[in-house]
Amino acid sequence: MSIKVGIPRALLYYYYHPQWVTFFRRLGVETLISQKTTRGLLDKGLKSTVDEACLPVKLAVGHVLDLRDRVDYLFLPRIVSTARKEYICPKFLGFPDMVRHTINNLPPIIDCNFNLYHKGSSSADFYFQVGKFFTRNPAKIIMAYNASKAALDKHNLDMQSDCLPQEHAAEGSADSNGINIAVIGHPYVIYDNYISMNMIKRLRDSGARVLTADHLPESVVREEAYRLPKKLFWTINQRMVGAAYHYFSREDVHGIIHVASFGCGPDSFTGELTERCARNGSNKPMLSLTVDEHTGEAGMVTRLEAFLDMVRWRRNMADAAATL
Amino acid sequence: MYVYLGIDVGSVSTNLVATGEDGTIKHSIYMRTSGKPIEVVQKGLKLMQKSLPIGTKVAGVGTTGSGRHLAGVMTGADVIKNEITTHAIAASNVVPGVQTILEIGGQDSKIIILRNGVVSDFAMNTVCAAGTGSFLDQQASRLNLSIEEFGPLALQSNVPVQIAGRCAVFAESDMIHKQQMGYNIPDILAGLCAALVRNYMNNVGKSKEILPPVVFQGGVAANAGMKWAFEKALEVEVIVPPYFNVMGALGAAMLARESTNRRKTGFRGFQVADSDFCSGGFACDGCPNICEVVEIQEGGRVIARWGDRCGRWSNALAKEEKIS
Ligand code: SF4
Ligand code: SF4
Repeated sequence: MSIKVGIPRALLYYYYHPQWVTFFRRLGVETLISQKTTRGLLDKGLKSTVDEACLPVKLAVGHVLDLRDRVDYLFLPRIVSTARKEYICPKFLGFPDMVRHTINNLPPIIDCNFNLYHKGSSSADFYFQVGKFFTRNPAKIIMAYNASKAALDKHNLDMQSDCLPQEHAAEGSADSNGINIAVIGHPYVIYDNYISMNMIKRLRDSGARVLTADHLPESVVREEAYRLPKKLFWTINQRMVGAAYHYFSREDVHGIIHVASFGCGPDSFTGELTERCARNGSNKPMLSLTVDEHTGEAGMVTRLEAFLDMVRWRRNMADAAATL
Repeated sequence: MYVYLGIDVGSVSTNLVATGEDGTIKHSIYMRTSGKPIEVVQKGLKLMQKSLPIGTKVAGVGTTGSGRHLAGVMTGADVIKNEITTHAIAASNVVPGVQTILEIGGQDSKIIILRNGVVSDFAMNTVCAAGTGSFLDQQASRLNLSIEEFGPLALQSNVPVQIAGRCAVFAESDMIHKQQMGYNIPDILAGLCAALVRNYMNNVGKSKEILPPVVFQGGVAANAGMKWAFEKALEVEVIVPPYFNVMGALGAAMLARESTNRRKTGFRGFQVADSDFCSGGFACDGCPNICEVVEIQEGGRVIARWGDRCGRWSNALAKEEKIS
């Protein structure tokens, strides 16, 4: 029987899953992804974490618990930096240790460092370390790494050409009656159907086309983020703000929804930056939502509804003005 | 005579309005919800029927407020709309060209910004008591004043007292302190109004451009002290429309008129006031989401369900709730 590695469906899984899964498969290692978020899974995570943790981290612990007894290894990379001279939120760095110290009876954890901060560092180093858990054959690791990189590149291109990840692609109607809504938020929040309360599906069901930071090539997002008065060195938030700049300036985008997660430090200032800088005088409607563990669905639905009414209304006005 | 009914079921109050075909109000009813939305809606329908001339026909029904879906299935509403949209529609009909709507109810408050007749921004507060009417209610009852006496007394103030209004708890102790120092009641009341306005502006009014005409509505608009405090803080005239406390219902009635335009209404008749409705709920154990499903029954027959994330229960009735 082949070795089974468990990957929590949480945090940066949403960026890197094609690469991770391909890499392990090429090494002949089976992967098991935790089930989709449910109330029960989130509750388990909430019970096992300290109050200070942000919602996505608590949720990720729930996903770890879901895998714990079903796998030979847990894959919890210690992600320090995903781009040169930038960091990502320190909670990613601490995540493997937090898990180790709060959860008992864990299988062995693969927590190699992923750190591209310094010049000359490459993601290959990380995959090499991971590969060594399973094979001594460096050639095999290199091949797996190359394949995994290709898988990620392809995935990113797919996203840019409007295939939202996984199930989202198939959901909702493609008929958008011309309304485009940009959703700005952490991927592990906006693509998680449970904590986002199906926001993407709801928007699509009501006839809007949904755009996210992942529809934009990395280069565009970065370039836009340079317009900030000062460089943000948190990669994900930089991405969010960059995407917000871009979508605010795009005529075919009719509204922007900023989704913050409860307890997230970086979000509190990206929200402000988006409102103050990215808006840049534009009067495009923007809705700010915060998801937490006990948000009622009703409140969010009311806000989304009102927001869409407003966007449609404005659009009709604009159409009317254009035909005058 | 034909009328359009608007029903606004909120957590604190439930309001009904009947408008004529020209949009004028024929009758309006304001009631406490007291946690019993079904009974209150039924009672409201009875009262409404009694006060309308015999032979009056209902040509359309619209519902709004947090209990809009409930009221919608009970009455067979033609349109079920969120409270932001209905308030905006009502205000812009009553005060054409309105650019800012301040709305303070018993448990929530909101601000709606309109430009060129269209909602361009909004914010809602549903968590902080210091920004809502319940704050004034509490303080008034501490001073043994009815809320009706409050406004006129506050207007007698010469030098309003500065009261720390950040939080309802602090405000209360600050007010007791000021009372003991011997300030007179009108000055304290005016200070309370000013504190609530500051709070509102820091909370929902944050970074919103407030342009005239400004309309002030919701239950708290009955308090002349509040109108005065807003005018002082914003330095513009604040208009309190005649039906300030039923604006949501009025907007719903207006939407009902629009949506039934030459179509037959879905209204099930005033006799639903005598139907035997009951609402119940259960926790679904179909998957670890453990959704709390709400079920509305009429005469023992289930007529609507919501609250299930996967649609297992609501779809079974083919009444899927969608955002519109
Ligand atoms: S960026 Fe925010 S949501 Fe993400 S891990 Fe850090 S604190 Fe949590
Ligand atoms: S209603 Fe659906 S999602 Fe909710 S617990 Fe039941 S099966 Fe799960």
